[in-house]
Amino acid sequence: MIVDQLILPLLMVLVTLSVGAYIVAVLDRLMAGAFGAPRGGNVWLAPLTRGAWLLTQHANATEAPDWRAWRLAPALYLALAAIGLAVMPWSASLVATDLVTSVVLWGSVEALATVVIFLHGWSANALLTLIGGYRYVALGLSYILISMFVLIGVALPAESLQFTQVVASQEGLWNVLRQPLGLPLFLIVGLGMTFWGPLDLADSTDLAGGTASEVSGPPRLVWDIARAAMLVAFSGVATTAFLGGWLGPWLPGPLWVIVKMLAVLSVLLLLGRWLPRLAPERCVTLMWVVLLPLSFLALVWAGAVALWE
Amino acid sequence: MAVNWLRKFASRSAATVFPVLGRQGEAALHRLALTPGIELVDSPRHASVLLVAGEIPADRFEPLRRVHDQLPHPFAVLWFRSEPWPHLEDVTRIDALDALPEALIAAHRELLLGRRDSASRILPDEPPNPWEGLGDFGQGGEGMMGGVPYGRPMAMNMMDDVRDGLTLDSLSFRLGPFYPGLPPGMAAEITLQGDLVQMWSTQLAPYPRALDPVFFAARERPVPIAELELARAHHHLRRLFSALRLAGLEGASLSALRLARELSPGSRLDGLRRRLVRSGFFRLSSLAGGALEAEQARQLGGPAARAAGLDDDLRSQDDGYRRLGFAPVTQSAGDTRARWQQLLAEIEQSLQLARRAERDKACTERMDSIETPRGPWLEQLPQDGSSLLDELMPGLEWGDALATVASLDVAAAERSLGEAPA
Repeated sequence: MIVDQLILPLLMVLVTLSVGAYIVAVLDRLMAGAFGAPRGGNVWLAPLTRGAWLLTQHANATEAPDWRAWRLAPALYLALAAIGLAVMPWSASLVATDLVTSVVLWGSVEALATVVIFLHGWSANALLTLIGGYRYVALGLSYILISMFVLIGVALPAESLQFTQVVASQEGLWNVLRQPLGLPLFLIVGLGMTFWGPLDLADSTDLAGGTASEVSGPPRLVWDIARAAMLVAFSGVATTAFLGGWLGPWLPGPLWVIVKMLAVLSVLLLLGRWLPRLAPERCVTLMWVVLLPLSFLALVWAGAVALWE
Repeated sequence: MAVNWLRKFASRSAATVFPVLGRQGEAALHRLALTPGIELVDSPRHASVLLVAGEIPADRFEPLRRVHDQLPHPFAVLWFRSEPWPHLEDVTRIDALDALPEALIAAHRELLLGRRDSASRILPDEPPNPWEGLGDFGQGGEGMMGGVPYGRPMAMNMMDDVRDGLTLDSLSFRLGPFYPGLPPGMAAEITLQGDLVQMWSTQLAPYPRALDPVFFAARERPVPIAELELARAHHHLRRLFSALRLAGLEGASLSALRLARELSPGSRLDGLRRRLVRSGFFRLSSLAGGALEAEQARQLGGPAARAAGLDDDLRSQDDGYRRLGFAPVTQSAGDTRARWQQLLAEIEQSLQLARRAERDKACTERMDSIETPRGPWLEQLPQDGSSLLDELMPGLEWGDALATVASLDVAAAERSLGEAPA
């Protein structure tokens, strides 16, 4: 029982977390190279040597930071990513924690991400980190409602808040086709939640790294891993909610999940390298004025289709 | 043993370099951005090597000391074309640009392998702002009100909001002169409400920017227009590099730099322009605001003025240019977006002129008035215009404000330091 319900699930999450974060780092480097970054060194080794360098670097101090919160924030963000990975099913039976309310738990992860990222920015007691934190709150408040509507949309045909049931409900038709607005909206939520590429308002270049601008050494390594792991967790949830999870011909279920997650990750990383950072005001306006009504429309559509089916 | 193995492995990582730019230190930055094995970082906390590039004026020594001490242990310092401070131990000075990348990578590697000691701190390890001891948080005020905890004024609402009436606590601070988002050498006192700029007061003007020697030669004798126009396009492309990097378009910024490095009359801007349009740079990025009024535009001159609709360009008065069919291109909006459109149009125009001038072997004819990439040069070189920012910045969001600063070439122009004055 302990092995089945504690040790194996924990191992599964840890392996996905570390392998996933590594793959994100490699993929992002490959994309950077394709987009014109100077090529040099081994792309497969670079994330590992960088990690080793951060482990040897001292963790610096700022003037009077809130030490506990500052050190905890990266770990908490990593924990949130781990929670996301824990509820993501690899097959009908292979899932770390098959909660009946896993969709709700993921929703709370999205909400808590805002708190943790703000904490990271605020607790350093420095200027640019604080602005990064403030900016993220504006973004976080904007994407969260969109995400809720979209996720309720996928729960409707499943008549359940359990991710395994959400996948099972896509046996005939994947949600990406059944609810065409859902996945594009959810991908935008993903970019926001991981503050990646065009929605990287919190750790941006105009804030010299934003919430992470004052962090060095091991805490920075944890923060970087947590961001990559959150991308992996998000791509897992997107795969589950819209791309039919483990469903697919020929290959075993978990392999299908990996293929689909890699596809979602590639799209997110590609958008990250391709698009400029959005102006915060434009971004918030876009979320509230365009995307939120669209997500409501997606929900109405999902409800109508569920009734019709 | 394990630690040794870890350090050995870590020494294979890219050298993370925080550049502190002195006068005309940008050449190093442009070289390093395209060098594999070197990562330029925006925060000293993210670096293992501090690169002091170019001569640092004495009034920026104190900020340099503070940046120096912000690098986490272990770290190394390299001085490029800059005189190291005499009291520092184990300093490395490099003067050859070609030797710089290798020296930086070597410093990073030796540091991690333990073959080089970490640089020592310069300042005493004590809070720069003493603890006041009075008040709930030792801030020197009463309760949660008043006082200056750690030397920073309490974020209190002292000013009316300039945006929508929702008054937030204001936050005042000093930024620069080594902040990568500002022109090299520039420092400003800034007050923010949320991320809206409430007040901006330029404290240190940016260092004068070096003009290509061909512009100085053109004051003394007729020079080939092709050469002059390529130098102009080169100047603009380098500015585009900084702005695109700031906008989060790293790949495109490096393309601009590569184009500048390999510039010839046959070069085309189409690829880069297409890339910028397709990425949505003009629609999505922080480019709103920063519109110049006619008087401000005239005062600044150059591409910024033409982006605001003024067709002042001294090239129109030169017969050599007239024969090539030169006519100034202009925009009308005068804001940040218009300035980047203007700059792209001017780079394209310069490349076209260079092609035609090379074909016709055209040379300049007037020597008393030269249009430099920074603006008109009549009696004197274009002067510093950074005080203009004090009027332009209030009311802009942080992203728009920095994008506006990047789009305005406010630094004065000067002769390259390696070049003897005429």
